[in-house]
Amino acid sequence: MDHILKERDRLLQRTARIHGLSFTGVALLCLLVPGAVAPATYLPLVPLLAVLVFAQYRVGLSRSYLWIFTEVGSALGIVASIAFFNPDGLSPSALSAIGQLTAASLASVAMVLSTDRVRIGVLVALFVVVTVATTTLTADSRRPLETAGLIFLGWSLASIAGLWISAGVPQAARRIGSIGRAHRAERQASEIEAQRRQSARLLHDTVLATLTLLAHSGVGVAPAALQQQSADDAKLLRQLRLGATPTPLSSGGYNLEPVEETVLGTTLESVKQRFGRMGLEVSWHGTGQVLLPSDVLDAFLLALAECLENVRRHSGVREAHVTIVDDATMVRAMITDAGVGFILDDVDSARLGFKESVVARLKEVGGHARLFSEPGSGTTVVLEVPR
Amino acid sequence: MTYPPVGENTLGLLAEVRASRSRVGGSRRLVRQENPHRASLGTAFIGVGTSLICALSAIYGFTWFVSYWTVYPNPILALAAWVLLIVVLVAAFVTASVVGDRLPDWMFALLLALIAVVMALDVVAIWDLHDVGQYATASLTAALALLLVITLRRPSDILISIGAVGIALFAVTIANTRLTADNATVQITSIAFTVLPVVIGVMVVRGFRSMVQIELDRVLVQSTVSAPRFAVGMLASEELARLDLAAEELLDSVATGRIALPLRPKTASVAASLATELRLHLIEGRRETWLYHAITESELLGRSVTLTDKGSLAGLLDANQRDGLLAAVWLLVNDHAKKSAVRTVQVSVGPIVATTPVALTHKLKVPVVITTTGVQRNRVDPSTWDAIRRVGRYSDSSQNASLRVEIECFVDNPADL
Repeated sequence: MDHILKERDRLLQRTARIHGLSFTGVALLCLLVPGAVAPATYLPLVPLLAVLVFAQYRVGLSRSYLWIFTEVGSALGIVASIAFFNPDGLSPSALSAIGQLTAASLASVAMVLSTDRVRIGVLVALFVVVTVATTTLTADSRRPLETAGLIFLGWSLASIAGLWISAGVPQAARRIGSIGRAHRAERQASEIEAQRRQSARLLHDTVLATLTLLAHSGVGVAPAALQQQSADDAKLLRQLRLGATPTPLSSGGYNLEPVEETVLGTTLESVKQRFGRMGLEVSWHGTGQVLLPSDVLDAFLLALAECLENVRRHSGVREAHVTIVDDATMVRAMITDAGVGFILDDVDSARLGFKESVVARLKEVGGHARLFSEPGSGTTVVLEVPR
Repeated sequence: MTYPPVGENTLGLLAEVRASRSRVGGSRRLVRQENPHRASLGTAFIGVGTSLICALSAIYGFTWFVSYWTVYPNPILALAAWVLLIVVLVAAFVTASVVGDRLPDWMFALLLALIAVVMALDVVAIWDLHDVGQYATASLTAALALLLVITLRRPSDILISIGAVGIALFAVTIANTRLTADNATVQITSIAFTVLPVVIGVMVVRGFRSMVQIELDRVLVQSTVSAPRFAVGMLASEELARLDLAAEELLDSVATGRIALPLRPKTASVAASLATELRLHLIEGRRETWLYHAITESELLGRSVTLTDKGSLAGLLDANQRDGLLAAVWLLVNDHAKKSAVRTVQVSVGPIVATTPVALTHKLKVPVVITTTGVQRNRVDPSTWDAIRRVGRYSDSSQNASLRVEIECFVDNPADL
């Protein structure tokens, strides 16, 4: 609320400045009409006008009473000097100028004085002072009632504008506040929905694997197998979209059954089958039966599958070896191929998606990955996850 | 040869995609300037206020009309002008209150035409008096009808219309009235009385709208304060849903044979970019903190705030500290009278500083450094310091004539939780 009240005050100040300065300009035009005032009048008029303009400019920036009082003082000074230097009666131009100054230009202070009770009190006092002073000073040339009426009209228009903006802002602020609350709820809901989709990880893994195959135009995979896998994955995505959390038994090469701990071996077998379909022969060595918490298993399998995918795409050979060993604390997989290999420094590991999909995922579950390669002597990746 | 030339872009595109994502972020912010519905919050109330001002001015004008009744060579025409004007004002007021957020073009055109008719009637009625500024009444009030619809049309529409009215009045005055020293001022003040209130009204409405807009922006961003340590942001789930749907459609097409295998390069690259974006959303999506989301989602902050937070440490701040930091940044960017001046703020969070003794508080010390450009230290609003104090103990200095604040922020150690 504080923020917007401050903004409101600024808006009122800016409006008061524009209002004041533009009508001061009109008054100045009136005074410049030939014969408006006796020439001697301009002597005090010029500095007083300068002060008035400066004060009105400052009102746009500051809430201080100082500039308001300066403004009123200098404007009344102008009126007084016009009255003093033109004792034989005021010309219509001078009367117009006085009217513009007191009823329109000065009225702009009403906008910045309408925000609270104290300021409204000051506003009323200033109004009385300006009205009494102006009617008295111009009494010889214009009926006091007419002058007072004009000033009243100008000041009440400005006051209405000020009061109306002051009152409108808290209203708007309340409605904005309720929008904010709704938005917070929306943000939480969005967060939960995103979590639901993100936690459907196994599903996305198989979808990503299929998309990656498609990204290579499906070359090297039997069309029928790819079509079958696409159909399965599309079905899973449809289920996800319709609000279910799909829990099919398997899709493509994955075991998607939601269990707390899963035996590694059965799942590894399905990964092997999947890569077999795509033309990469995977040979397993070592431990087959390792129990892992499901999130660790997910990360481990994804990383493993990414590595095998890299072998399939880049190594130039059609065979890979995966050795799984485990001890009391760690499960370790070593993925080896006898392919072309590469110079580690030459290839930004991000290019392989290695950092994104392998390192990042393993890190999340407390594991890590190491990459060894040499041109001509194949590649070895070591993946480690805690048990 | 190490790798095939990387025509593959399933994973290699990451950097580019990320860059382009941050680019489009700008146009996808939550609050949009051109969204009239949100911008009109509270302007209906302002509209009633302008109507009141318009009514008072009309009464004033009508009083003059009555006092001139005997002077008019042809009062019937002037009376007709007034009757038509009153009908127009009432109709415009009623229309404005039922039409909603925006006045249709044809209604606005009709209003302008009616204003023109009123002015023409009034001018014809006083033509023989040869002093437009003195005797014109309905024609001066007519333009104030624009005040009634000021919240319902674009500022430029209103300004162009009132400009046309001003020019027309000026032209009529020049054509009809022989200017002398005695009657010149009344011409000036009459035109000013017609034009200036509408111009000022446009400024008020524009200022009010931008104020509402900024406040709305702030309130929406404020909701990030209660976000978890890592959040996906408002647009992420929408984005993820969109990607999932696109993937589903593609896979479905492949499955049903609508897209023949092997894929054409174009479709293959669609699959590649889908996979890339999905990966980004799944793996990287939860790496951003509330502060990142606050800055990217906000129209105001997004323009001028940059964040450096390599360790995502901003996420560790508690709700009160977040609120303070956001408020401070907000005030530094927004809290100044000259809206044209360019201010930028750089917030850098971390790295964690080792504290001794560690065990006493179980808290981590995260330094937060706010550097600015274009913010003079003595011009900073006092409430900014209050906000910064809520983040932690601070010391402030000037760097390149602009404020620099270093905050020692203590946060709970996530390892202890």
